[in-house]
Amino acid sequence: MFKRLIFEQSAALFTVSAFLTAASIYLSIAWRALRMKRPQIERFENLPFQTATPAARHDSSPAPSA
Amino acid sequence: MPAQKITLEFNDKVVRQFLVATLVWGIVGMLVGVLVAAQLSFWRLNFKSEYLTFGRLRPLHTNAVIFAFVGNMMFAGIYYSTQRLVRARLASNFLSQLHFWGWQTIILSAAITLPLGLTRGKEYAELIWPINIAVAFIWVVFGVNFFWTLARRREPSLYVAIWFYIATIITVAMLYIVNHLSLPTSFTHSYPVFGGVQDALVQWWYGHNAVAFFLTTPILGIMYYFIPKAVERPVYSYRLSVIHFWSLVFVYIWAGPHHLLNTSLPEWLQTLGVTFSLMLWAPSWGGMLNGLLTMRGAWHKLRTDPVLKFFAAAVTFYGMATFEGPLLSIKSVNALAHYTDWIIGHVHAGALGWNGFMAAGMIYWLVPRLWNKPLHSTALANLHFWLGTVGILLYVAAMWTSGITQGLMLNATIEQGTVLAYPNFLDTLNTIRPMMLMRVIGGGLYLVGFMLMAWNVYRTVRHARPVNGSIEVFADEEVGVEAHPLSNARLGVLGTFFNPPVAFSVLGFGFACAWMFGGDAMSLAGLVGLMLSVVLACVHFESKGKSWSGWYERLLVNVAPFTILTVIAVFAGGLIQIIPTVLTSRASNLEDRKQRPYTPLELAGRDLYIREGCYTCHSQMIRTLVPDVLRYGDYSRLGESIYDYPYQWGSKRNGPDLARVGNKYPNVWHLRHMEDPRSISAGSNMPSYASMLVNKTDLAALPSKLAVQRKLGVPYPNWTPEQIERRAKEQAETVARDLREAGALVSPDKEIVAMIAYLQTLGRSEFAVAPVGPAAVARLLP
Repeated sequence: MFKRLIFEQSAALFTVSAFLTAASIYLSIAWRALRMKRPQIERFENLPFQTATPAARHDSSPAPSA
Repeated sequence: MPAQKITLEFNDKVVRQFLVATLVWGIVGMLVGVLVAAQLSFWRLNFKSEYLTFGRLRPLHTNAVIFAFVGNMMFAGIYYSTQRLVRARLASNFLSQLHFWGWQTIILSAAITLPLGLTRGKEYAELIWPINIAVAFIWVVFGVNFFWTLARRREPSLYVAIWFYIATIITVAMLYIVNHLSLPTSFTHSYPVFGGVQDALVQWWYGHNAVAFFLTTPILGIMYYFIPKAVERPVYSYRLSVIHFWSLVFVYIWAGPHHLLNTSLPEWLQTLGVTFSLMLWAPSWGGMLNGLLTMRGAWHKLRTDPVLKFFAAAVTFYGMATFEGPLLSIKSVNALAHYTDWIIGHVHAGALGWNGFMAAGMIYWLVPRLWNKPLHSTALANLHFWLGTVGILLYVAAMWTSGITQGLMLNATIEQGTVLAYPNFLDTLNTIRPMMLMRVIGGGLYLVGFMLMAWNVYRTVRHARPVNGSIEVFADEEVGVEAHPLSNARLGVLGTFFNPPVAFSVLGFGFACAWMFGGDAMSLAGLVGLMLSVVLACVHFESKGKSWSGWYERLLVNVAPFTILTVIAVFAGGLIQIIPTVLTSRASNLEDRKQRPYTPLELAGRDLYIREGCYTCHSQMIRTLVPDVLRYGDYSRLGESIYDYPYQWGSKRNGPDLARVGNKYPNVWHLRHMEDPRSISAGSNMPSYASMLVNKTDLAALPSKLAVQRKLGVPYPNWTPEQIERRAKEQAETVARDLREAGALVSPDKEIVAMIAYLQTLGRSEFAVAPVGPAAVARLLP
């Protein structure tokens, strides 16, 4: 395989194997993500709120601190 | 004794600096964009200056928008959010300042060198080699500062935004270094180490992933931090964000070849590019929906809050652009759209809508907090939003219409597909002129809106006192993840690699390489080994699945292993595309046609062609499509550009393809055309290159250029500098004599003579000796 530049029909297999590899990784990650536990998710998704942010200081509607 | 708390102040000074630079360079980049768009309608707008032609300014526009505008915005967002997500101040003030001032110096250097015509001739990679080294150095400074900060973090878990930042830093470094590998011929000039198809493939591996990892992943990280903060609620689905990250990282890197569809690129690579581009639909839309749904329950705020307006529109444009990208990667759609304005419209939906609006939302959110002062005018911010939105819609709609119109006209045939319906390229150009004007208006509106934001920010921060954010931490709290309760979750080097998922992946990858690159026996062994690895992995996962998930859990709190695995993920996709082509793209492997090396004078002319950025309007690739062949001649073969360092296949046709323009017209036609394009082609929008009739060709540079070309594998004899100069002068005399006989008096030492010599050689090749093999034999049979 890949000994010549243009006419390598067997190289088409490569596309299929690359697709299958990526698809299997995608499915594995999806499966893993879907099985994440609720407390773990809550901890991760609240990380941006662990550090207090100063009040939004738009002149029309100041918002409370997050 | 209760632990004492101290206040930790964040380094927000560098965030403010990058934020101001974003505004300044954003205006510069967009202003140049509006100017080059106007030049397409009004050719006189280069003001007869060789430094302000479309070919020289268009790279300045793209580089300024990508690296200066989005780059500075990205650094501001990353530095602001990272400090807060990991609860640590940036590791080094010095590195932060070095990063900021170094990056601005690079941008300034680019703004000076590009109009001077100092370029590498590759899209979004035009900067000359000394600046390339500076970019790599400053990027490393950024990386060190970022990872050092992570190493000192007080929060062990890595939020998904940090994942996106890590992928950005690693992947951009890899892409940039590989695509900028060059051999210098002087302090301001170099040739890339890749040529022809290798260069095309590396270039679009880089070009496509510059979009992916410079314009998308860091902005997604910013989206996952700033949208939840703006709406004051967590991301809609953290699970989806995890899937979004890993699938983007794994899939994006493979899709580069979709920029080279229907060309002479090997078919398997084109199919690979199409397949992975279509796969991108899923993660991109997953991320887009995740961003939009994060705003659930806060939609009413969109009426009053400009920040949310910009974020909502930006994420919508992200969805639109990422729907359009895979669509354009379908070969039949690409046959219509490639080389036309449709691609320009697609790019600007992403750049103006996604990047520009995310930048605006982030800036409007940050400025009041970084200067502790209310925004000067919400009404002005709202006006900015509507000007920007209308501007984008006008721009994108004009480019869609223009692209589809031009594509249909260029591909239209009559007489059962044997004759072109519009044989004159200028017919199509003049048809789309109204759309080109509409694009200037749309871009102008967007620029005005952006300038309003700059004014608004200026009025806000004038007389305001900058403030740095702060948090309270325990005084005796040790810095670094090892101090954290989760420190027992460390993976270490051994744990990173010697675990089931990685071990089976590496094993499978090794066998796959043996299968694809090995000889007959090795290839068979590789195939069997690969199948066995897959089966064994499945069995092991079934029996000991807990060790697999345990490893993944620990990965989420370990920066180094996480980074290494991200590198492997993106590296695999890149190497698998590039290595086969690099190994096989040699003259000895060619079939059919082989390029003749350029003569010294032709090479000098080619460098002038690159200097003037001719590739920004003219392709040198006749696609394997009937209308292309009818219009420009026989389709291009890989061998016909094998000695092209850099390749010049192009990506846009504002003018016709030039792959076979050699010997199509007499020398004097080219001279008159370059001097005054409209005297030959009425209605042309090409700038005049009359300066080439005045400037002298730099023959003194040729010996070092030929020496480098020889190192790169171009079969030049070992000529002495005197021989090189004599050959160049002899050929120049021949061209000048021919011009004189045709009534044009030009001295042989002028640049135009070298340029004509180059143009006249395009498409002239020799037959290659076909290699012996079943495929070659089969091809000779009827």
